[in-house]
Amino acid sequence: MLRGEVTIINRLGLHARAAAQLVRLSSGFKSRILLHRKDNAVVADAKSILSVLTLAAAQGSVLEIEVEGADEQAAFDAVLEIFGDGFGEL
Amino acid sequence: MQSKTPNISIAAFVEKSPPELQIEVLAGNAGLDDRFINSARIQKLGLALAGFAHYIHKGRIQIVGQSEIWYLSQLESEKRTEAIQNLDLDKVSCILITKGLDPVPELTRLAEDKGLPLLRTNMISSGAINQVSVFLQEILAPQITLHGVLMGMFGIGVLILGDSGIGKSECALDLITRGHYLIADDSVTIKKVGDKLEGKSPELIQDYLEIHGLGIINIRELFGVSAIGKGSQIEICIELKNWKEFEEIDRLGLKMHEEEIFGLKIPKFVLPVSSGRNLSTLVETAVRIHLLREAGFDAARSLIEKHQLLVGGL
Repeated sequence: MLRGEVTIINRLGLHARAAAQLVRLSSGFKSRILLHRKDNAVVADAKSILSVLTLAAAQGSVLEIEVEGADEQAAFDAVLEIFGDGFGEL
Repeated sequence: MQSKTPNISIAAFVEKSPPELQIEVLAGNAGLDDRFINSARIQKLGLALAGFAHYIHKGRIQIVGQSEIWYLSQLESEKRTEAIQNLDLDKVSCILITKGLDPVPELTRLAEDKGLPLLRTNMISSGAINQVSVFLQEILAPQITLHGVLMGMFGIGVLILGDSGIGKSECALDLITRGHYLIADDSVTIKKVGDKLEGKSPELIQDYLEIHGLGIINIRELFGVSAIGKGSQIEICIELKNWKEFEEIDRLGLKMHEEEIFGLKIPKFVLPVSSGRNLSTLVETAVRIHLLREAGFDAARSLIEKHQLLVGGL
């Protein structure tokens, strides 16, 4: 299992379209990808849009990412990259 | 699983507490935002005022009623100040005076000096304590939001877990068409209240369901109010698993699984998913089995007993 932290850097936060982008990306992997937002104790599955929207993560929110499965390294890197990219909005 | 450390500031307590309490702030406004309640249990200051202050817990509401006010008012001013100072006012979260009583002037003055919120309600102690405890239990309950679906079926809350894409939401939709109701799809907020687990939907996604291919749909609009529930106690859990991930399937149905949430164990059925298996029928049947077991009937056990009689094992 791989674990890491990301900070939401894009101005609009994890808004609906960004969330959809994340879900599409995550669904391409076999591994289970979880996002924890610790300040309000919400755990979301990165492959589920409603679940990701529940995080209500604004700019500056910190999320812990937990990836487990056969392709965990690739999935972990890809998820970190999309957050680092600010969902292509930077 | 990590949950939020529950506490509430005195300001939030005053604002959100039940309207029946009609709480007013008499003194100590300075401490409203930086003093916190972290326990649903209350304390009465009684003995502490008489000098035995060791039992005071920092995060609890301290109740002052008729007897405390009476005790204080029969003391001389100097003794009163001493008795109140004895309470370690920096430690106490707040003081709630009941029955609309007037505090002795020394209490108001010291509370103001120390920034200790001094609150008052018109309710009598017993009623106020009841209201406050119920309110605090609810608001201080440990809470977490998990990935899963919560359905209301046959009068109980059924939590459906499983990896994404396994068919939880499709199963939920199928169950709705069979007359059960949706409480939360994809994300369930669970609170531990006493020794029970209460589940509801995060406000944002209440009424919504996501189905691959259909997108996000609104169940209340599509199926009506009876297809939606606000919340429920979670009594059983169904975990959907890919057939391939199964090492061994219990063919008799004797082995009971459990899911642990906040240290509470709830019975769990682990159902293998594969094409050709009707999930909603399976889930519905699992809930019926659970209800029957609760009532003392267990099909697997009774068959085994019959069999044992037959082979002379008993």
